[in-house]
Amino acid sequence: MAIKPVTIAFDVMGSDHGPAEVIRGAAQLSLESPHIHALLVGDRAVIDDVLATTRHSGERISVQHASGFIAMDEKPGEALARKTDASVSVAARLVAEGEADALVSAGNTGACVLACARHFQLLPGVRRAALAAVYPTRMRHGGKEDPFSLILDVGATVEATADDLVTFAVMGAAYARIISRNELPKVALLSNGTESTKGPRHVVEAHAKISGLPGMQFLGNVEGVDIPKGTADVVVTDGFVGNVCLKMLEGVHETVFELAQYAHKESLRWRAGLAMLAGGIQRIKDITDWEQYGGAPVLGFDRIFIKAHGRSHARAIANAGKIAAKAAANELGKSIQQGLAR
Amino acid sequence: MSLPDRIDPRPPRRIYRWDLDKTYLQTEFDSFRDILRTAFQKAHEKQAVPGASALIRELSANGDSRLCIVSGSPRQMRSVLEEKLKLDGVVWDEFVLKDNVGNLMRGRFRALRGQVGYKLPAILESRALAPLEAEEVLFGDDAEADAFIYSLYADMVAGRVDERVLSQILSQAAVYPDEVERVHAAWKKISVADPVRRIFIHLDRLTPPAHFADYGPRVVPIFNYFQAALVLLADGHLTAPQVIKVAVEMVQTAGHNIITLSNSFQDLLRRGLPLQQAAAALVQALEGPNALLQALRPMPDIISAFTKRLAALGTEPAPPPARAVDYLAMLHHALPRTHKARKPPPA
Repeated sequence: MAIKPVTIAFDVMGSDHGPAEVIRGAAQLSLESPHIHALLVGDRAVIDDVLATTRHSGERISVQHASGFIAMDEKPGEALARKTDASVSVAARLVAEGEADALVSAGNTGACVLACARHFQLLPGVRRAALAAVYPTRMRHGGKEDPFSLILDVGATVEATADDLVTFAVMGAAYARIISRNELPKVALLSNGTESTKGPRHVVEAHAKISGLPGMQFLGNVEGVDIPKGTADVVVTDGFVGNVCLKMLEGVHETVFELAQYAHKESLRWRAGLAMLAGGIQRIKDITDWEQYGGAPVLGFDRIFIKAHGRSHARAIANAGKIAAKAAANELGKSIQQGLAR
Repeated sequence: MSLPDRIDPRPPRRIYRWDLDKTYLQTEFDSFRDILRTAFQKAHEKQAVPGASALIRELSANGDSRLCIVSGSPRQMRSVLEEKLKLDGVVWDEFVLKDNVGNLMRGRFRALRGQVGYKLPAILESRALAPLEAEEVLFGDDAEADAFIYSLYADMVAGRVDERVLSQILSQAAVYPDEVERVHAAWKKISVADPVRRIFIHLDRLTPPAHFADYGPRVVPIFNYFQAALVLLADGHLTAPQVIKVAVEMVQTAGHNIITLSNSFQDLLRRGLPLQQAAAALVQALEGPNALLQALRPMPDIISAFTKRLAALGTEPAPPPARAVDYLAMLHHALPRTHKARKPPPA
């Protein structure tokens, strides 16, 4: 059976590495996945210049000119109001109008979420959208044996209610089912103890509600230490705590590699030791290589949006496009709605 | 029954020159295994590039053209290749194949891979027999040196290449002395004219289009034959209904759809090809009664897809400027793809 074609809108402007990396990522996608079409939204002249010198399939790429873009350091609300033709806004509108099935952007996160909020609808039963993030873990997850788990929310909803956390659990489980081919993902609430009574009131309340959800493999509460272990496939928390956790995990990762660099410079003996560990270090680097996962979703909207890391290179963008296509082809929105209806 | 008003064939107004492998046929010869498989394939097992046979049929349907095929395939494959062309309903006027066995027997190993010494004299000799006013469109691919050879041929016929440059090219391309002699002999017989209108390069290896920019706007890299048909519509070689027939064959036989076709159309517009009028003609043709297309897809969808891709671009692009081709600077393009001095196209 022929695979249904999927069109992914790429906001090519506003990433840390400039438009070229996003365009190259979409070009790579056009060569690797014949059923995915890329709609590149941004400055047409820039896009054409990069495409002209990059291997791609012209049959699977189209361009929508957008004259403006939101920079990383701009205030999202003000910038979107001022720049009506900003690439992220135009791309979100095209997805809302059905010209594309999903949106991928490596740009300003706030502006992306706000553009989605303006053009997309929240799913029935969802009060607040959640920004998910993938993070490397010791354990593997799902049918694909992904070395990543999902944590949500990491910043879209700073103060979540118990009902919001329940919604996040359902949305995260639906995403893991589709993307990691994990039929029954293990879902957990992040708290300061594993007992059901531990944590602030909204977490305790959410614990009781999620426990009663049919079809959910709920582990109960997990602690911070369980995040890198990968005890749960989906970790649910509010945007404030999630963001702090995520940044701390990134900080630890960077510090470990800085320490290794320091050791490499400091003494010949340590350098020799590191050389012997080179295979293991490379393995850790591979496992924690977020570029292989491409991006993370903003969940709760009726359309799919994958937020790629601002520092994404072409490979990460191509992978984000594949994730977006998979979510669109498997009707992620419908899956979330079914979970919420239970 | 009335007698025809003339008994000799009408002189061709247009000549279409085609390469075969990777231009008309989906041939793999990157490895020894590929070469063996290709050599033993039967006619019905060979696959044409989607839209190629429909395009050739539509071009010859106008009745005033010649189809000249010059292929690097060995002469021993003539019967199977002719059978394949007949299966596809392609009627040719000239069909030249390479004497690889002869080259091998005479120890001319450079000639096995070299294209300049084979194709250039072959098409020059063909041109020497053509009427002065016959214009030409050439079809090649990005696997070997087609863009270089075809452009050089066009500029030689038009008197834009001098003896010194040609000698340097033939020397650098390691062309054998008898082939050099054939090139000069045929060239001398050709009256100066500027007949080559377009050179289409089928991007079989998906070489980035900018790789061919130095050849100027006459060379048009194409991802598929719907793109060639669109340009030929704009150039007056095809009508809009004929272009639609090419598209229909691609949809029916190769899984193309409205997205790939409209993206292909926009790709050409973005590269500065003046297709606005051709697009209007196409939309007009699509609006008329066309049972084949009605069965394929509802008309409004097709028209809307093309219109949207056109509108998405905002201002009309400037066509690429015409330029003189510096063949000496691009001599590495004349070498076989596997030659160590051949620079690879950008990634």
